[in-house]
Amino acid sequence: MRVVEIVLSPLLALVVGVFFLGLARKIMARIHWRYGPPLIQPVIDMIRLFYQKSVSHGRMFDLGIIISLTGSIVVILFLPFGSICPLSNSGGLLVILYIMLIAPLGIALSGGQGANPNISIAISRKFILSLGYEVPFLLVLLAVMTHYKTISIIDVVSAQQSAHWSLLSLALFLSGLSYFLVLPAMLGIRPFDMASAPQEISSGPMVEYGGKYLALAMIEHAFVLFINIALFVNLFLGGASNPVTFFVKMLVVFVLGLFVHAAFPRFRVEQAVKYLWKWPTLLAFVGLIIAVVARS
Amino acid sequence: MDRNQIRKWFKEPAKMANKYSLHAIYFCTGCGIIEVPPVITSRWDAERFGVIPVATPRQANLFLITGYVSVKTLKAIIRTYEQMYEPKFTVGFGSCPVNGGMYWDSYNTIKHLDKYIPIDGWIAGCMPRPEAIFVAVTHLWTLIDKEMANGYVRYRENYNLYRRNQEMALGKLEWPPLYSPDGNREEDTRE
Amino acid sequence: MNELLKKELESIFKDLQVNESQAGRVTLIAKRGQVLAVLRFLKDRGLDHLALLSAVDWIEEKEFELIYILTRYIQDTDDDSGDGRLHLIVKTRISRENPKFETTISIFPNAEPYEREIYELFGIDFDGHPRLTPLFLERKYAIPPFRKDFDTREYVQEVFDKIPFVGDKDK
Repeated sequence: MRVVEIVLSPLLALVVGVFFLGLARKIMARIHWRYGPPLIQPVIDMIRLFYQKSVSHGRMFDLGIIISLTGSIVVILFLPFGSICPLSNSGGLLVILYIMLIAPLGIALSGGQGANPNISIAISRKFILSLGYEVPFLLVLLAVMTHYKTISIIDVVSAQQSAHWSLLSLALFLSGLSYFLVLPAMLGIRPFDMASAPQEISSGPMVEYGGKYLALAMIEHAFVLFINIALFVNLFLGGASNPVTFFVKMLVVFVLGLFVHAAFPRFRVEQAVKYLWKWPTLLAFVGLIIAVVARS
Repeated sequence: MDRNQIRKWFKEPAKMANKYSLHAIYFCTGCGIIEVPPVITSRWDAERFGVIPVATPRQANLFLITGYVSVKTLKAIIRTYEQMYEPKFTVGFGSCPVNGGMYWDSYNTIKHLDKYIPIDGWIAGCMPRPEAIFVAVTHLWTLIDKEMANGYVRYRENYNLYRRNQEMALGKLEWPPLYSPDGNREEDTRE
Repeated sequence: MNELLKKELESIFKDLQVNESQAGRVTLIAKRGQVLAVLRFLKDRGLDHLALLSAVDWIEEKEFELIYILTRYIQDTDDDSGDGRLHLIVKTRISRENPKFETTISIFPNAEPYEREIYELFGIDFDGHPRLTPLFLERKYAIPPFRKDFDTREYVQEVFDKIPFVGDKDK
């Protein structure tokens, strides 16, 4: 049974992530008062990309994207998706914190052999941005772990299902708010998409990707969307007992993120870090103090 | 559009996917690029046809050469075209790539773009209306269906002739040949 | 045009013709040796924007004509013609055989690309220009292409139409 879950969980995440990619283009188009592509357009793009004959720049170029995908798939195995969670007894939040850093690292490794200065600029922006959002993110996670006295996400989810959502509890409300403010930076949507800006740096690390590499990068993007939104839903919106409710909650969060993406222009990376270290960090810090005080 | 016909997807997925996912490289070649922003934004939405602009030739499979091609621009066009991955399609947009157009007796523009890179289709006009871009895209779909949009195959097979023409127009080229000149045409010789 | 400016110009520079065709548009036709002094004088009087420097090929008269267009950024309050901004053209003629002129970079530093362009397209040499390297064109021409005796049609037939179509022999 567990083997089935280990295979099924990343596949479900892929389906949900690709659906989110298509939904993003459709909703953005409707916000722009035009029709937009069909919902399966990312699938059509991926099929076309797999049929293109791409040229590799070297062995690290091939391996980097595979490392990135592997990191993302491993994180998905630790995240509960409704009732499906293959590796539920191992590590939980601490493991996720470490392995979530493998995904941008993989892309940085492959970009190093791409030999394009746009890639270096984009990777430096991505890492500076992650320096920005890791600080409030860690404070939020510490608050959650202190409040529920556990590092296992399954326990957090079941505690919320017996009580109420973390976002609505007095002790964790500020932490939830801070996490919601940081979520666009973790997803890489506007105003924080400076790491892959098509107009400025020719789409960043994907400038030398084409053919099958770009298809894998799109799959990686789908996984990143899934991971970040699923983590937020699990920690603050109560998780769910079945995948359908979980998916509905993810959809609500994603559409809210899309509205932010549609309305904002892009920040510079120092503006982004200044923002992320100001209000979200302050809220997360106060939330941590409240959580510690409420527990003691 | 036959995008919804599931049987065709299972019979020939490569053709269907190449048709409905034409990503155009956003290289503003000449004066005709002024017709492209209304096409790709809300006025005439090209994204519902699957056509979006991308920033880099590695991710693209459609090259719209809009407007006149001066000798300096031809160098950039050839380098961009050679960086795109196969299968790739080019469309000459406006009358200047067709036969020189308004600049037919100019000392610094090239007159027939087909001598230097292979073109799959032309759109006449100076400038054509944005609706003409959609007509061109649908014609390109028909050509892809009938397997007549094989400009990249012509380029690979007659690479010597194309390169000789390019050298006659541009002088000595700074980049090495894309395909090896002796027989082995299956591998690119450079990235 | 400011009447004071006109009087000063006519008194200081002999043989300078000042024509005001419309309100605010003035043409000065200068002799070849006077041009730099006139430009320096005008720049001190507030006309410190060199908008364009170009050339005309008078092939029957066997002369080139150099044209400097000057404007001012700040309105002249003493000038009640036009809107006070004074569009002023300074023209001069130089000979067509072996054309040479002095550079105006010492007065207007932004004349550098214009002089490069004129050297490339007309063949007029400018003494004192730091680099007269090609600006737009990629190839060498027998005579500079903007001259009236450069036959464009013949050039196109010689260079571009001789390149064969690919796949002609298959037809």
